Amino acid sequence: MVDTPDAEVVRLVIPSRLELLSIIDKVVDGVAEQMGFEEDDKDAVAISVIEAGTNAIQHGHGHESERMVEIIFRLLPDELVIEVMDNGRGFNLDVLEDATAPENLLKERGRGIFIMRSMMDDVHFEFTDSGTRCRLVKRRRPLEVDVTGSPAPLDDTI
Amino acid sequence: MTRRDDGDVTILTLSGRLMGGPDTEQFLKAMREVIDAKRTRVILDMGDVAWVNSSGLGALIAGWTLLQEKGGSLKLIRVSRRIEQILAVTKLDTVFELHPDEASARAGFGG
Repeated sequence: MVDTPDAEVVRLVIPSRLELLSIIDKVVDGVAEQMGFEEDDKDAVAISVIEAGTNAIQHGHGHESERMVEIIFRLLPDELVIEVMDNGRGFNLDVLEDATAPENLLKERGRGIFIMRSMMDDVHFEFTDSGTRCRLVKRRRPLEVDVTGSPAPLDDTI
Repeated sequence: MTRRDDGDVTILTLSGRLMGGPDTEQFLKAMREVIDAKRTRVILDMGDVAWVNSSGLGALIAGWTLLQEKGGSLKLIRVSRRIEQILAVTKLDTVFELHPDEASARAGFGG
């Protein structure tokens, strides 16, 4: 993806160790604050990026800690775009099942992508010879406006 | 992780994260030890757990299933808002019984 001129970019490169994913939480805190995200959206981003990172470490790199996972946050005026990249062989998206279906509810695996898709506005995977790129998008929520088109007050008290 | 046996209830207190690494193996080992000791009422104190990912959810399900197979019951207490959000989106809040504190969970076991 080509950086757009109005994007602020934060890059993070971590070894493939699950315990390092908690670093992402700290980065998301800062990025979400810059974006003006509310708590729910901030949590959704953190949870989703950690799931993408888990996928990269477990499935992409098979827990080989010397292989690096790259995470890029692009702060755009209307949305936050995050790319999580590994150099693994990818996986088959067609075999994914609905994790909340009664027959799948007690399965121990198969929830990561479902969680990402539930929490982000867009989730896209790209599989190439050089690895897997997971692209996550969270859009800014539009301000609520009243019928006159003015921004709504923050609460009902005047 | 700490374990406390109080009457017929075992309280496992987790801390840090449950993300598919050594933390998860430690949790499952503790669950197996509890079951081997024929204790079937388990409270999982999640108050100090900052993170659970999908692998951690898998471990919770494995622990829940182990207990169910022995006729036991697992209750979660002090679950953070963020973890509750993950449980809700995966509908696992329909599987795990969540309580605000230990007293409430104990009451949930009944006589």
